[in-house]
Amino acid sequence: MSEYTVVGQTVARVDAVEKVTGAAQYGADVHPAGMLYGKIVRSKQAHANILSIDTSEAEKLPGVRAIITQDDVPSGRRVFATDKVLYLGEPLAAVAATDPDIAEEAAELIKIEYEVLPVVQDVMEAIKASAPRLQSDAAKDGPNRREISAQIRKLSRDKENDHSDEISKLEAALEEYPDEVYYNISAESHSEAGDVEKGFAESDVVVEDTYVIPRVHQTYMEPHVSVASADSSGKVTVWASTQGPFAIRSGIAGTLGIPLTQINVIGTTMGGGFGGRFGVIITHVPAVLLSQKTGRPVRVQMTREEEFIDGRPAPGCVIKIKTGATNDGQILAREALAFWDSGSVSGASIGSTIRVRGVYKIPNLKVDAYGVHTNKSGTAAYRAPGAPQAIFAGESQLDEIADRIGMDPVKFRLMNMREEGDPVPAGANEPKVGYKETLEAVADAAGWWDREAGENQGWGVAVGDWTNGCGPGGVYVSVHEDGSARIFHGSMDITGTDTMISQITAEILTIPYESVTIRRGDTDSAPYSTGSGGSVVTFTMGNTAKLAAEDAHRRILELASERLNMNVDNLELKDGAVHVISADPPKSISLGELAAYSLSTTGGPIVGKGSFARQASTPALAAQIAKVEVDPDTGRTRVLKLVASQDVGYAINPMAVEGQIEGGTVQGYAWAMMEEMQYGENGNINPGFVDYRVPTSADLPTVESVIVEVPAPNGPYGAKGVGEPPITPTLATMANAVKDAIGVRITELPIKPEKVVEALKSNGH
Amino acid sequence: MKGFEFFEPTTLAEASQLFAQEHTQLLAGGTDLVIGMKALTEAPQSVISLQKIPGLAGVITEADGSISVGAMTKVREVELSADVQKHHAALAEGAAEIGSIQIRNLATIGGNIAHASPAADTVAGLLVADAQVDIASADGERSVPIDELFTGPGQTVLTPGEIITRFRLPSPSSGSHYIKHKIREVMDLAFIGVAAAVNLDNGTITDARIGLAAVAPTPIRATEAENLLRGNELTEELLEQAGEAAAAASSPISDLRCSAEHRREMVDVLTRRTLQEAVARA
Repeated sequence: MSEYTVVGQTVARVDAVEKVTGAAQYGADVHPAGMLYGKIVRSKQAHANILSIDTSEAEKLPGVRAIITQDDVPSGRRVFATDKVLYLGEPLAAVAATDPDIAEEAAELIKIEYEVLPVVQDVMEAIKASAPRLQSDAAKDGPNRREISAQIRKLSRDKENDHSDEISKLEAALEEYPDEVYYNISAESHSEAGDVEKGFAESDVVVEDTYVIPRVHQTYMEPHVSVASADSSGKVTVWASTQGPFAIRSGIAGTLGIPLTQINVIGTTMGGGFGGRFGVIITHVPAVLLSQKTGRPVRVQMTREEEFIDGRPAPGCVIKIKTGATNDGQILAREALAFWDSGSVSGASIGSTIRVRGVYKIPNLKVDAYGVHTNKSGTAAYRAPGAPQAIFAGESQLDEIADRIGMDPVKFRLMNMREEGDPVPAGANEPKVGYKETLEAVADAAGWWDREAGENQGWGVAVGDWTNGCGPGGVYVSVHEDGSARIFHGSMDITGTDTMISQITAEILTIPYESVTIRRGDTDSAPYSTGSGGSVVTFTMGNTAKLAAEDAHRRILELASERLNMNVDNLELKDGAVHVISADPPKSISLGELAAYSLSTTGGPIVGKGSFARQASTPALAAQIAKVEVDPDTGRTRVLKLVASQDVGYAINPMAVEGQIEGGTVQGYAWAMMEEMQYGENGNINPGFVDYRVPTSADLPTVESVIVEVPAPNGPYGAKGVGEPPITPTLATMANAVKDAIGVRITELPIKPEKVVEALKSNGH
Repeated sequence: MKGFEFFEPTTLAEASQLFAQEHTQLLAGGTDLVIGMKALTEAPQSVISLQKIPGLAGVITEADGSISVGAMTKVREVELSADVQKHHAALAEGAAEIGSIQIRNLATIGGNIAHASPAADTVAGLLVADAQVDIASADGERSVPIDELFTGPGQTVLTPGEIITRFRLPSPSSGSHYIKHKIREVMDLAFIGVAAAVNLDNGTITDARIGLAAVAPTPIRATEAENLLRGNELTEELLEQAGEAAAAASSPISDLRCSAEHRREMVDVLTRRTLQEAVARA
């Protein structure tokens, strides 16, 4: 029996009624009087010099109120392309008109003269000397050249001794790696622990493969939208569909040079985010600029096609990976070299390449990662950014090793998993973690140990780790004369976080969940709040709400002490009333009475304040098992069973937690089996839901979720961030199941029917 | 969307006269047209709705027992019609493959065919039913066999002002079946579609018809394969020959969905499967 009455219970979401009835206000529902419609003018070329932009015809179109280009950005920060475009769909200008059709027509009337340049879309082509240079001529060294160059630099620095012979030998050695001069590199990241060469030398089995993961879109249901209104005093109000209103506020301030507190960002109900709804320039900045120029509110809303050509999806990646192990199943070394397709921006998720280490005791590890520019839009976060890609490579290859040494994939993983106190390769030591418990839980629930597979059927297992972030947050809790409590904060509700905050508050104040209401403020009114992404909300806002409720709790006891003339040590808050401990006859005073009493006290009303920013988080594991059946003639794969366990620390709202596990698992399944942004000579060629397939409920059986609770010391009630982990293992889970079914490893996602047929053919089918 | 004039004629003659003008489009269910207009790939100056013209919708069993399907019949009605399911299962199964239920409640079979996509899901079923397409215009009426309707992707023999009114299905098969190759279980476009219909006499195939979608510039019949089957009992060997002959009849393209080679292989696989099922049902 739980010691808690509200947390740990499945409760209806605070926003259930407004969502079900359609009353929730999304970005496109905002319609201030006099609003104009904005449209972004986009490049029709993937790589070209801009020779001219002629807006004269468009300006003559009746109903057009403003046309802006980079010349209209007073700060000079890049909002629109000027001399060169780097991808199909890159913004060049924006139009505001009285009607959306007029705005669209005006956008078409703007004449852009291009000088078309050669295009490169494939990362492995983009790094070659033969590729067009997109943003810089600079070249970077690959792993071997880096190492040799470092030695040369070290020897050259030693002026005391003569190393010229050694140096010339090393310089000759450099020449052995002509393919390791990489171009179009946007960023790089390198980590190392132990000595991988030694590890491979000591291994009985060494497997080396290359895995290819496509770029995928977050496909939130609501495309980006913002409505901006700039008044004559310079005050700017932005209704934004975003995960982080405060980040949008500082982003707009920084981009346009507007004082921070002259901007009010009002977050509208979010139609999904998954990490893709943090961008500042995407629609918000053009809307503000158009409103400033016209003096009227302006809405800029992306179409689904615009989302695909100019959203900020998850990066695709090519990972060369090598693992060595002993015949008795001990992993000794792993090496990875990754090229992330960062498109027109820098970086992508290169830092996440380190996740190839998984949750295993790998004494020797070397990871080299490069971000590569291509003629695509930039990328951004998508649910555990970078982890699904890296873990797909790591967990696929782990099964190949298990297969070679003839070991059960679950036992092989359990044997190598880290526990509390074990060193994390290229990291600190593990705190108390629940890796083994989580994998064992999924194996038991799925029936792994006595699994059966018919013809063309197979089972796959994989695990993925992720640690929630944390960030600043502030919460106020007020208690009213009717004994109810109201929460005020500034964090966007994502997948039921307002519900979780309400549960924690009710728990501390010992009142029913239904007696708590929650209000989100805008950036003008609410205390600062970190963005709702990175699985931070439960950790940050849960802790913050707990502090605020505890602060209110303290004031409640103080008031009761005054009112009852008792020392607080003799008082306790229980069931919505303060009781005198062990009083006979019982003596108590209700929260409502105390709230009413507080209004005439010197100390005043019951207002609890909670403020929080940072504490160490604890890693969480998601473990999944799939059973599939593959049609060897058509290559189609059917999922027969999909079981997902996850260490959530503590499930504050179990149904919401299960929803997160199911959602993340389905997104991972989709990435494995069907989702893929495809690129042709001139950019994205599947910018819509006809040829960019997201699964429907008909594609999957019910995902069985298994909650594992190994408490996080600093999480509220032990809770860990839940949102991101479940997507991390599914790509490999599916690939491993397909391998088990057909006997051939598919290393390039998605596992489309055609690839399966080809793979089987190569295997003699 | 560009501005346009909207007409709701109540007679075919009136509709045909309007449609004979340039830059006009017919509106049946609108599930293709409206999307095209929003994407600006279609920008008609006039849109002529067929919805107020009586007599264009519904599945009718004619006096001779044959079935006819009005062009304005909703795809969902074709899918659920007991008569279509019984005599032309391949057509009902093809209808069931289109979009979602919501789409099928709007889309019409006439629109699915007149749009002339080689990948249309009802077309293979109509091909194996030997459908006759009734066409009306201000100048009168005519009828063309379905396999002579299409001239290329998005192209038909229809002349300006001609409107498809009805599909007549003269040859009920004793067994038919449609399979669509796709990635997603529902709401996917056909990578390829194959329908087969057979008539059996004591185990011998007296007639066989195979319709292929999305494997050539127009939907086609695999006549070579049909000829192999006629007069024979279905054996494993004959199935293989028929599959190969159907694959040889196809001339698919490679595109973002899959390669020509994969399409051709799937014609082989799915021809064998549809035939087997059609014979089992006969």
